[in-house]
Amino acid sequence: MKKRIMASLLAAACVLSVASCGGNNAATTTTTAAPAANNDTAAATTTEAAPAANNDATTEAPATEAPATDAAPAADEGDTFNIYAWNEEFKGFFEKYQPGYDAATQTLDGVKVVWTINPSADLVYQTKLDEALMANADAAPADKVDLFLAEADYILKYTDSDFTMDISQLGLSQVDTEYQYTVDAASDSNGKIKGVSFQCCPSGLIYRRSIAKAVLGTDDPDEVQAQLDSWEKYDAVAAKAKEQGYYMHAAYAETYRVFSNNATGPWVSGGTLSIPSVVEDWTNQAKTYYDNGYILDTLPGIWDDGKNAEMFNTGKTMCFFGPAWYFNFCMGNAQDPDNGCYGDWAVIKGPQAHFWGGTWMLAATGTDNPTLVAKVMKAFTEDESVCEQLIKNEGQFTNNKNVNQKFAEDPNYGNAFLGGQNDVAVFAGMTDSIVWQNATIYDQACNEGYQDCIKGYIDGSIDKDTALQNFYSKIREQYPSVTTP
Amino acid sequence: MSSTTNSAPAKRRSISYAKWGYFFIAPFVLVFIVCTFIPLVSTFYNSLFENYKEGLTVVGPNFVGFDNFVKLFTPRADGRLEILNYTVNTMTMWIMGAIPQIVFALLLAVIFTSERLKIKGQGFFKTVIYMPNLIMASAFAMLFFQIFSDVGPINQIITANGDKAFLFFNNEWSAKSIIAFINFLMWFGNTTILLMAGIMGIDQSLFEAASIDGANSSQVFFKITLPLLMPILIYVVITALIGGLQMFDVPQIITNGTGNPDQTTKTLVMALNGQINGNTRNFGMAGALSVILFIITGILSFIVFRSTEPKKEGKKK
Repeated sequence: MKKRIMASLLAAACVLSVASCGGNNAATTTTTAAPAANNDTAAATTTEAAPAANNDATTEAPATEAPATDAAPAADEGDTFNIYAWNEEFKGFFEKYQPGYDAATQTLDGVKVVWTINPSADLVYQTKLDEALMANADAAPADKVDLFLAEADYILKYTDSDFTMDISQLGLSQVDTEYQYTVDAASDSNGKIKGVSFQCCPSGLIYRRSIAKAVLGTDDPDEVQAQLDSWEKYDAVAAKAKEQGYYMHAAYAETYRVFSNNATGPWVSGGTLSIPSVVEDWTNQAKTYYDNGYILDTLPGIWDDGKNAEMFNTGKTMCFFGPAWYFNFCMGNAQDPDNGCYGDWAVIKGPQAHFWGGTWMLAATGTDNPTLVAKVMKAFTEDESVCEQLIKNEGQFTNNKNVNQKFAEDPNYGNAFLGGQNDVAVFAGMTDSIVWQNATIYDQACNEGYQDCIKGYIDGSIDKDTALQNFYSKIREQYPSVTTP
Repeated sequence: MSSTTNSAPAKRRSISYAKWGYFFIAPFVLVFIVCTFIPLVSTFYNSLFENYKEGLTVVGPNFVGFDNFVKLFTPRADGRLEILNYTVNTMTMWIMGAIPQIVFALLLAVIFTSERLKIKGQGFFKTVIYMPNLIMASAFAMLFFQIFSDVGPINQIITANGDKAFLFFNNEWSAKSIIAFINFLMWFGNTTILLMAGIMGIDQSLFEAASIDGANSSQVFFKITLPLLMPILIYVVITALIGGLQMFDVPQIITNGTGNPDQTTKTLVMALNGQINGNTRNFGMAGALSVILFIITGILSFIVFRSTEPKKEGKKK
């Protein structure tokens, strides 16, 4: 009897461990199981008119829309629309706002929408995406990648290749409402535009109102900006904040993007790696701030729990740096109903204008749903009702100048999270200074690798040369052809 | 052979069962060739080529001879030979975990098999001891990462008294110790079960004879248990060594693949993973590293095997 109990216990443990293995699979392929009735969608779409008429959003759309993209997909287009992404952010926007999307059947104009979402950590997303793109030409129609998302740090890898389509082939072209830098970022080295972005990412300084009041005597955005509009002033305020027991910013790499995205030279030119001078400047700042105790002495990374904990109302940190997507994507702790500090924030330009991140939609070469790809791209850049909802409901700063301007000038608009401040107006005032320049395909490896490897120098455990050698060896590992100092 | 049997069927005096032997080992041989031998040979083959991906462009395969090996054995600008560094890290962390693992397992095995103590509820304890092995290494690593993280419970206790938080993963030896401890915790149960099986295989009459002769527990252990357990112990050490050289999951997850601080927790297989994953797919370099790992494993296994082999009298012939 005893043995039997033991045996069943062990068996249960075995089964559990196997089950947990299966459940913990890093790659979650969300296959939207369309009801059986909808499986022969190709036939359905040709007979039924596109559901444009049922959808308020589409009817509100500007009349300039080309008829080709508004029509239902042609009969010879695929019945599965495959989208690759690295998180659920865009999926949420798409499911809520994409005109023609039917949430009940999870179809877009009768075509089944399939999301393949892989985490971007450890390059899982790009690895899987690369495999799929390289096999796209020979893939079965249901498996062909149609649309995929890419981030600023590695977009060049895809745009400057034959695996992405020129959007003019989709019947699209650059529109005036797009910000120029988002177009430049999506263009290949010959100037061909390969995709569009649904957001514009000027990044500002987000400060805690109550701490600003304590340190600077005011929480008014204009007055705070006046006291923080250069790095010299920022340093002075940091010292002041420390005296009162506050941290100027939390993570050691908090200001990294402010420097790196204003780089005057590329990371790699002519196959040789060199550290941009702005990154040197950042390193010096981070070292000084750590040595002076202006930042957390635990040196968390910008995505770490230790830093995020500073956004609770118990936090002692005054400044964070981020674009519009930062509010919802990174500041969950600040929005916590019990321990957060909703409304105790404001955003300003800060010491230096910059941008951070941004998500672009790119069309995969070999897509069998070009009509839908064009439709989605158009919806998230040109469809004003979609863009308005992105601002109103999602706190985004869209890639549509008209819509942004409308909100910036609207005296009734205010972001409750920022104590009613009009954040769109702040971001709109920064867009002109954003320039897309010096991008290389090595940027992601360099930016992430450098921040990680230099940490040992900042906390004083290794000398700078060793830290740099660790960084170089990381780059050599990822890019064998790059020559390092 | 078939021709002789055909021409002279009458000659069949003895029946050969050899073909059944081949028949029964065929599945193993087949699986071995497909899953082990071919990959092994192709690893050697691949290590001689330059073959990687840069962005979305594939470079190679171009035959480069031993260039990959030369690159691996070239020290970097500040004089550090990284592959040696990774080997030392791997061995250090393995030894830090393996010594307590074997000592602890041996102790438990002796206690559980002791006729004198006759511990009750053995099945329960065996299950409990073995349990950690059923949990995924990654889950274990995540758990310990949370416990020892900069804002985790241990540091909350430390900072509650106003002390500065201790950054366990920023310090070489605390990081290594945590990794070694996880490996120890995961594997001592497995070792215990193996050693218990070994001890139970020893003839009980020897223990009885010893106790009649008045041997105390330590004498029994050192004069009877240990020498007779040697073959199993060697097996345990060699398998633990091979497992240890392939240490990957725990340090990879705990350091998020970085091998921080200052590459001190980066193991050989983590370096291998760095070559093969993500953007690079550097099959040539990964092949070369694998070959080196193979050679190191072979040499170390040989040393362990030789040093623990009982010395035979008639060996001098």
